[in-house]
Amino acid sequence: MAELDRNAELANGALQRDVRAGRADHPARRIKRARESPIGWLYPAPALLIFAVFVIAPTAYTIYISTFKWNVLNTSMSKYIGFANYQTLFSSSTPSFLSSAWRSLYFSGATVIGGTVLGLAIALLLQRGGKLLNGVRVAVFAPYITPVVATSVAWVWIFNPQFGLANSLLRVLHLPTEQWLQSSTWAMPSVIVFSLWHEVGFTVVLFLGGLSVLSTEMSEAARMDGANAWQEFWHITWPQLRPVTTFVVVITSITSLQAFTQFYEMSSGGPDYATTTLSYLLYQEAFLLFHTGYGAALAVVLFLVTAAFTLLRRWSSSNIARLG
Amino acid sequence: MTFAALGARTGDRTEVRRRGSLRRRASARPGRPVGSSRTGTAVSRTVAVLVGLVVLLPFYYVVATSLNSPSATASLSGILLPHWHWNNYSRAWAAEPWGRFFLNTVLVGAATTALTLVTSLLAGFAFGVMRFRGRNALFVLMLSVLLVPTTVLLIPDYAIATDINWLNTYWIQIIPFGASVFGIFLVRQFFLGLPTELFDAAELDGAGRMRMLWHIGMPMVRPALLIIGLNTFMASWNSFLWPLIMTTSPSVQPIEVGVSSFAGADGTDFTAMCAAVTFTTIPVLVLFLSLQRQFITGAMAATGGVRG
Repeated sequence: MAELDRNAELANGALQRDVRAGRADHPARRIKRARESPIGWLYPAPALLIFAVFVIAPTAYTIYISTFKWNVLNTSMSKYIGFANYQTLFSSSTPSFLSSAWRSLYFSGATVIGGTVLGLAIALLLQRGGKLLNGVRVAVFAPYITPVVATSVAWVWIFNPQFGLANSLLRVLHLPTEQWLQSSTWAMPSVIVFSLWHEVGFTVVLFLGGLSVLSTEMSEAARMDGANAWQEFWHITWPQLRPVTTFVVVITSITSLQAFTQFYEMSSGGPDYATTTLSYLLYQEAFLLFHTGYGAALAVVLFLVTAAFTLLRRWSSSNIARLG
Repeated sequence: MTFAALGARTGDRTEVRRRGSLRRRASARPGRPVGSSRTGTAVSRTVAVLVGLVVLLPFYYVVATSLNSPSATASLSGILLPHWHWNNYSRAWAAEPWGRFFLNTVLVGAATTALTLVTSLLAGFAFGVMRFRGRNALFVLMLSVLLVPTTVLLIPDYAIATDINWLNTYWIQIIPFGASVFGIFLVRQFFLGLPTELFDAAELDGAGRMRMLWHIGMPMVRPALLIIGLNTFMASWNSFLWPLIMTTSPSVQPIEVGVSSFAGADGTDFTAMCAAVTFTTIPVLVLFLSLQRQFITGAMAATGGVRG
């Protein structure tokens, strides 16, 4: 416990120092020479070099490529075409950009809403802790750390219409069976079910974090006033969880927009493009069909959307900080 | 107790939570979380256990199928009761160079982790402890990297890799992931949390920057390094789209690409496929179960703890 308290103090000190960051009015200023070096930038240089070469410059390069009819085999044969690739986005090619954007929205909407509701519900079940419930927490978190490739390969077999677990269970329960990944109606819901299974543990852990810092006084007061469990949740717990919820929504939106592997393994964007989301369309256009310029235009769109969400995320996480 | 230090810095709420429940018990007040009646507790515990079992069912299913006879039936008992057909494993193992895939994965993962730790430590030290002209500008520049998802970088980085002859090498799988904004941020936060007097004293003793970093900084930020290391290694192990595009030869490809090509090569031998899924996933699960607290803390630190 003593160590905990000391660390809490350390954290507190950090907070205060953060507040007056940038000021050098410390009494021990004269002995700070080694730390106030003009060559200080050399320390972050290796990291910044990697970022510059593989992230920052390539981002600009993507924008550049997106204005070309790019020739992969011989880049000098590429032809500048201005915004034509962006105009193609709104043409009626198959699968069209707009329909893929819609399917991304479908997938993200379902995984974000489903993940948030499930995550909160499971976190509420697990919040008491104790050996048993912590064991369940480990079980729920386990899929999140397993590789998406291996697990989605396994889920393909679960959704197999003939021999799969899903239909076998439905048959035992005398419910109608489905074609799952082989049906253009059910393919997307199947991938969504897999993704929820894979990601929900992470959401649970975030909500458990949020629940653990709530004040118990308000809940007790509500209970003394005769509130039932639902009223207590709706009027006391849920409003206090709003910053965490915002954060969960933003972070799962970003990950679900990037989701690729499960689509590649489970449905290859099909059947009949039913699971061709933006990320999958980008892969298909750029690396299967070699429409590199068009793929780059898609990448730019994806970049703008993700960047907007990331800025939202910074905003929402600073809200959490204020809460704590 | 090393992770207690981390908890205080990065918001490991499990630690806080434990303290909270201790306090509650000690004061013996009737304050309990939502659903406080005793029957309510029993019901919610039962539901929780059921949720856990449902989540674990696919794991059990994969292992059971990996031991099933290749001519499996569609009946539920036929699917869920194991039959001990170990030759599924030998068939799966013979189909791909798994040993090579494992070796590549561990090699790439270890190298990426080592590089990330070094770059994070150096940059985090500079941003957290040192003062130099342009420090804040560089920090903001670095944060802007967070705006760009990896998917967006595939096309230009593929072009770059082609130009510098890095396609189909370990390098293209290691170097681009050898720096992490999250890692730098976490180390910086740790350094900001240390008392300045620590470094003042060291300088009075005539310690140089490197000695300060190595002898004072390193031991203090070790918990952060463990989290960064775990996150980096797992991200590397689980990466798929990048190596799928950047590599074509099994001699450098990682395990997940191997699983994918095995699944794609023979889509009908499901028992062997489940065997492959089992033996390629067990190392990850063993690592997780032995370090689960650190994993969960790390996942939270990667998001909730990094406070802008």
